Formats: sequence, structure tokens, C-alpha cells
Amino acid sequence: MSVQLTVEQTAFLQGPLSMNVGAVGRDGWPCVCRAQGVMVARDRRALTVLLSASRGRAVIDALDAGSGITLVVSRPSTHATLQLKASAATRATTGAAQRACSARCVAAFADELKGLGYGAGLEQALAALLPPDDLVALRFAPEIVFDQTPGPDAGRVLARA
Amino acid sequence: MNLSLESLRPCLDGAIPAVVATSAQDGTPNVAYASQVHYVDAEHVALSYQFFSKTRENVLAHPYAQVQVVEPGSFRHFRLKLHYMRTETAGPLFEYMKAQLAGIAAQTHMDKVFVLRGADIYRVLDIESVDPHIPPAPPPSDALLSLRRTLDRLGDTTDLSDLADRGLAALTAGFGIRHALLLMLDEAGAALYTLGSLGYPDSGIGAEVKVGEGLIGVAARERIPVRINYRTGDYAYQTAMRATHATEPRIPLPVLANPHSRIAVPLIHGGRLLGVLYAESEHDAFFSHADEDALVVYARHLAALVAQAACEPDDAEPAHDEPATRPTGVPLAVRYFAADHSVFIDNDYLIKGVAGSILWTLLNEHARNGRRDFCNRELRRDPRLPLPDFGDNLETRLILLQRRLAERCPTIALEKTGRGRFRLNIDRPLQLST
Repeated sequence: MSVQLTVEQTAFLQGPLSMNVGAVGRDGWPCVCRAQGVMVARDRRALTVLLSASRGRAVIDALDAGSGITLVVSRPSTHATLQLKASAATRATTGAAQRACSARCVAAFADELKGLGYGAGLEQALAALLPPDDLVALRFAPEIVFDQTPGPDAGRVLARA
Repeated sequence: MNLSLESLRPCLDGAIPAVVATSAQDGTPNVAYASQVHYVDAEHVALSYQFFSKTRENVLAHPYAQVQVVEPGSFRHFRLKLHYMRTETAGPLFEYMKAQLAGIAAQTHMDKVFVLRGADIYRVLDIESVDPHIPPAPPPSDALLSLRRTLDRLGDTTDLSDLADRGLAALTAGFGIRHALLLMLDEAGAALYTLGSLGYPDSGIGAEVKVGEGLIGVAARERIPVRINYRTGDYAYQTAMRATHATEPRIPLPVLANPHSRIAVPLIHGGRLLGVLYAESEHDAFFSHADEDALVVYARHLAALVAQAACEPDDAEPAHDEPATRPTGVPLAVRYFAADHSVFIDNDYLIKGVAGSILWTLLNEHARNGRRDFCNRELRRDPRLPLPDFGDNLETRLILLQRRLAERCPTIALEKTGRGRFRLNIDRPLQLST
């Protein structure tokens, strides 16, 4: 069973976000990698998250080996943060749509940071850091969604399958 | 581990949030933002513990984590494999992180949310460069060169008054610091008093800070450097220090209203705390980790010079006093309150404590027998003065008194006539009362 994301959560996931994916390797070590794009399925019951194959090798290996997945997305200007977890993720195909999605998400993230005064040259720096050319797409159906906005309520369950 | 943790210190100042990945006992991953990843030493970092979170629950059960940090300027990512060791809830590291977290919290508008409950110490087992192809950020200014320039400008001096002025002025040439204070620890070890200041409209000479109060007080109490990189209302002196109570006269500390960066470094020599060097800036992240290192070295050098100056022998006593001309004019009303040794001139607060007691003793001696020339040695032996054994405190108190008089009451002046010798110059008749 999976959670159906709300319309608001879906909209939030399409905003300018800092995204990170976590997994646990077969050796028990937790690992994390910055994600560079997310797409929500039309029925709002699944997501496809985009990682760089080279930057996210440990996370991808862990997921290939059957680790659960967690995705944390945060909007820098408001600190509003969601964490979505599932017991597994599967590889999905990547193509022009995924590359376009990644480029759009990275540009939106850079634009958000620029507004927060993180300095000039940010778009170029992030575009060089997170190019859309070695993407791996990971699809998962969230089983639990947490509000992870910093504060004493961080960790509150918003939806559970 | 090919990369050193020291080389990652720019990533550990809270400029860009870090994320921490942990695992629950059943293997479920968790990722959360870490407000603060603090450099402890070459092998350890500390993460701030603010709430009992899933991260904390996980590491207590399964003490392994991975932290991803980002270098400001280049946005290069690094991943650190960590092993949780212990949590500290008091002491120097905790106090440093608490102060720094206040700055990070304010910068991210999380002042009310971020309160430090503990410093979770982790051993760093491995560091991975995620983006080896990305060029590093431009290096920060060379702190060692800044230190050398500062020391060149300071030069050699064994005069405490000169040391207080040049010690602060040299910071501008070396580090570009435009606002700074030099505070000395009082005889009881309970408070610090301002001996010198740089870059403020009011000098604030004589302004006091209690040990433990604000950033300066924390640096003194814990004997550690404390650096805040962003503007925060926490650890500020505005409310407390600018208020002047009628019942407890205070000299306001002349600090910036809204400093964006602040650093307080203790002056320690021979295991003894002598004072605190404080600097601040209107710019964010003005002081780097390397600046902190360099200022710690500089503060130790200043402390050694202060201690050395205190050990210099006094000049020989002169054969006799020069006769004073009797001043004329409207008498100056000088009132002394023995409870706190405070002195008021024409009802305006001048000074209190040891310096107030010294002034009162000198003025009474002068009133009794017209004496003008005094020496430190006799003051050290004077049972009326609440002086400890340390020689340097008398000298610094005299400098404080001399400066305070020059600012607030030039009618009375202390003129240095030699090492350990000074003359009381008075331009108007005095009316002493208690």
C-alpha cells in the first residue's frame, strides 16, 4: 500500500527544493546523496527521484541491494521540509523528460538560493555540479510522509499507508 | 582518509546546511538537516542536539552516520562517515556550540526554534570528496600573514598603556578589524573591565562585563575562543549593558548595535586568565576558522606582554615632591561611596571598584599634605586598597583610572612620571565628601 500525496504536497514537490536521498548499505552504513529532480506520478502515489550516477553510487548500490529509501525535500526560503519513505525503490528509465526535469529543478533551486543571498555565479556553479547527463531515475511509492520542518514538531507523521 | 578534516573547516561554519543520514535498527534510512556540524579536532566533529529526533534515536541505537557538508563558494560536497561517541551537555565545547548555534539560528530566522541541548561528538572515520572535478572555492585571506602584519605593527613595548592601544590598533592593519575591545579580568575574577577600545564613538573605558555574561563573559568563563558568524540577539550586550541603573552605576559597553560577526578570545598566560580580546564586524562571516586560530595566538602573545610588563621593576623614587601650586576656582565636588568604592564628580558617575578606591586614596593624600607624586609600590602596600597579590592589576587599574579621568574629568589628571611612578595634577580646588 502507498500513500496518496495531497495536492498541496504535490505542489510543494514541484517547487524550488533542496533534495537529498538516503539509503542504508548492505554493511549497515547509512548513505546520502543530493538529488537533482523529482517527478510525481499522475495518481500522486509514486515519485521518481533523479540522482547523478557518479555522485550517488553508494545510495544507488544500496537501493539496488534492497535498501529502503528516504527522500528529504526542503524549501530553503521557508525551511518547510517533508520526508518521504518507502521500503524499496526500483530503477526507472531516463530520457529527455528526466533530463529536462533535472535541469528545471536545479535552476529553480539555484534561483531560490540566489534570492537568499548565496552569491553570484550560483546558477553556473550548481549547473556544473549537478549536470543532467548521468542521471539515474529511482521510482518509489511513499509509505509514510513526515513533516520535517525544523522545530519541536519535526518528525510528525502526515500520512501513513 | 586522504582529505584532512582541517581542510573542510570552511564547510563547518553553518553557512550552508548539512544533512545527516542515519539508520534505524531495522535498517530504515533517515535523512535530516543538521543545523551545525562543528569542528572539534582533527578527528572529531560535533553535531548539535536540539530535539529528541529520529536522528538521535537512530544513533543511540546504531551509532553510525553519514554527514554531507557543502563548501561555500564552490558548492563542492563532501561526505563524512561518522561514529557517534558521546554527548556533552556542559563545558567549553557545549558553550561554544551554543553561542555559534545562536548565530546560525538567527541567520536562518530560527532563533526561537534552535536551542542547544547537547553536543553530540562523533569520530570521523572517512571523508569522501563528492565533486573532485569542481575547483575549490577561492582561499580565504591568509590568517598567518594577517598575524604577522599585526605583530609587526604591535612592535615591542613593555608599557601597559601603550600595549592596550597598539594591541588593538594593530588589528586593523593585520586583520582589517575596525571594532575591538581589550578587557582585563578584575581582582576577584568575577568581571572584566574595558582597558582599551578601537573604533567606537564612546571609548567605554571602564565598562564591565561579568564573567559568563554574553560572548566575552563566556570566553572568559570557559577560557575558549568563541566566534559567531551571523547577527543574533543572543549573547548581545545591548539591553543589559546600555542600561544605566541609578542604584548601580555602569559605564555602557561601546559595542555595535547589530554586529554580524563577533569573536572573543581569552588572554591566557601561565595558566592564568588575564583578560579577553573582543572584535566584531558589520559583515557576515568576517572571521574565519583560520582567523580564530591566528587571534588565539595573538591573544596569547598579548597576554605574555601584559605579564612581562607587570614584572618590569619600578623606577627609583625621586628625592622629593615638587611643590604644587594651589589651584583656584569653583571647587569640584568629589563624593565617595565606600560600599562599592564608587566616585562621583559633581554628581556624575566616574568610576568604582579598585580604581575608585585608588582615586579616593590619592585625593585624600593630596588634601591632607599636598602630595602630588606617588609610586605604585606604596599603593601595593596601602591597606586601604583592595588589591590582590598580582602586580599587573594595579598597573591596569591606574591606566583605566587615567583614561577615565581624561575622558570624564580632565580637571584631575594622572601623569606618568616614570615606570611605576605618577603625578596627580589638579586644576581646581576639591571638596571631598562621603
